[in-house]
Amino acid sequence: MESASVRLEPAAGSGPLTGFGNLVDKEYGTWWRTRRALLHNILWLSVINGFLLLIGLDEMGRNPYGILSELIEIFFRVGGFFAAIGIVVSTQSSVLGERKLGTAEWVLSKPVTREAFVLSKFVVNGASFIGLAVVIPSIVFFLQTLLLAYLQPSLGPFLLGSLLQVEHLVFYLALTLALSAWFNSRGAVSGVAIGFMFAGFIMPSFLPWVLVGTPWPLWEFAARAAGGNPLPAEAWQPIVVTLLWTALLVLAALWRFNREEL
Amino acid sequence: MPNDPVIRTHGLSKAYKGVQALEALDLEVPGNSIFGFLGPNGAGKTTTIKLLLGLIRPTAGSAEVFGHDIVGDTIDVRRRIGYLAQEPRYYEHMTARETLRFTARCFYSGPKAALEQRVAGTLELVGLADKADRPIRGFSAGERQRLGIGQAQVNEPDLLILDEPASSLDPMGRRDVLAIMERLRERATVFYSTHILGDVQRVSDTVAILNKGELVAQAPIEQLLAGSDGIVYTIELRGNGSDAEQRVADQPWVSDLQVTHEHDCAHWLVRVADDAAAESQLLRLILADEHVVVTAFGRRTYELEDVFMSLVEENGDGER
Repeated sequence: MESASVRLEPAAGSGPLTGFGNLVDKEYGTWWRTRRALLHNILWLSVINGFLLLIGLDEMGRNPYGILSELIEIFFRVGGFFAAIGIVVSTQSSVLGERKLGTAEWVLSKPVTREAFVLSKFVVNGASFIGLAVVIPSIVFFLQTLLLAYLQPSLGPFLLGSLLQVEHLVFYLALTLALSAWFNSRGAVSGVAIGFMFAGFIMPSFLPWVLVGTPWPLWEFAARAAGGNPLPAEAWQPIVVTLLWTALLVLAALWRFNREEL
Repeated sequence: MPNDPVIRTHGLSKAYKGVQALEALDLEVPGNSIFGFLGPNGAGKTTTIKLLLGLIRPTAGSAEVFGHDIVGDTIDVRRRIGYLAQEPRYYEHMTARETLRFTARCFYSGPKAALEQRVAGTLELVGLADKADRPIRGFSAGERQRLGIGQAQVNEPDLLILDEPASSLDPMGRRDVLAIMERLRERATVFYSTHILGDVQRVSDTVAILNKGELVAQAPIEQLLAGSDGIVYTIELRGNGSDAEQRVADQPWVSDLQVTHEHDCAHWLVRVADDAAAESQLLRLILADEHVVVTAFGRRTYELEDVFMSLVEENGDGER
């Protein structure tokens, strides 16, 4: 069908990531070539930045540094909490939905690996969600602090806090992907993931040592770091362990999806 | 070698939680043929197709497509295949053009202009050029099937696998699908499952019949339609044919001759051992007798439906 002078080049690659680039583009399209990104943008600006407009600044005192510190604390706590729920809800059906609808069967009948299928979802969902629920609200937050406290947060600590928040979110993304590769019901996927998150509010009261091996303290660390406050000496433990958990959950998702009968 | 088997299975089996969906399938699909894969519901047709595509794994046996192992070299297998599922599903927010572009990019890296040209050509071929930029969610069943055929051949595959390609189509749509299959035969092998036996009889070169997960027949369509009772000629004639009957019965290549009478008409069933001899001599031997008038003469063939029903019933009714 194409002219002889312009021949199609066969797609290269035969490794575990065969088809990854094309799948990334397809996943990117589900966020950015539909209204999904716009809706998320409006949602997260309303929830995170809008929340800051509702609080009574008069009660914080008149000290601008006090106001800024309070704003950072609220921004990271509200953002960390709602964004973690958001990433679970918005990605719960990314693998499961495609398994059930039959689009996974269609895509995987082409020369595309299952690893590429799962990892493209991990990368694009993670990047898009973080862009919409962390990066854009953070930029707006910088403008808000200027208007509300006539000050801006220090960039270094703020970025460190943001990185910890991203790590927290990426853990929940990996957990959701793994669950949606294992379970056959959306309710089970979101129930387990959000249930795990809420367990983080209760369990440390009874078993404080669990904080070392879970991502639960990360959003508190994020708020603390962003405000320029020092992290506890043992903070590296949950930070490293969460990275390991995230990697393990991604591997679990890949392992399970490789055995999925489509 | 164009007619080397493109698909070979050796004892290919699949069980789901103890239920045997496919039992030791040995299949050979010749190159550049249209291979009809028949069987009642639950016979194991879709299971076989999914195994060939690497969508499920065999519990026993093996298979090669173009010499590539379906488990170890599944990506190499899929590079040369176009597949249309029984109930094809696509991303509903995508347009037909985006869907074909996505599919084409699974096989080709570029250049972009050639890729777009291939996509546009495919849209034209399946009659979707005027709907190319509409989201699929608004497509009718027929349009979805056309898109399905388009995406299955956008890579100009060497092997096209179609699972019930015409089941949801009206007669016009079915005719179009069959025309596309016949056109593709020149450069590709078409392996397709269906319930529509008339279509199979019309376009297939070779047919395999599956029942309860087991292969009950595999043969070229002419052989299958000729039946299993050898080469039989049926002749209808009027007049006294006793001399002709004797002459025919004396031929060394005639293995059996049965004559029945109805009113003033005689029906002959002549089973022959040498078809070439029968073809050149049989009618002449009868017409040599000037007392008889031959009103019908031909080789007995069966309708595919008769063959299918008889094979399936011989092996159980096909219901699991």
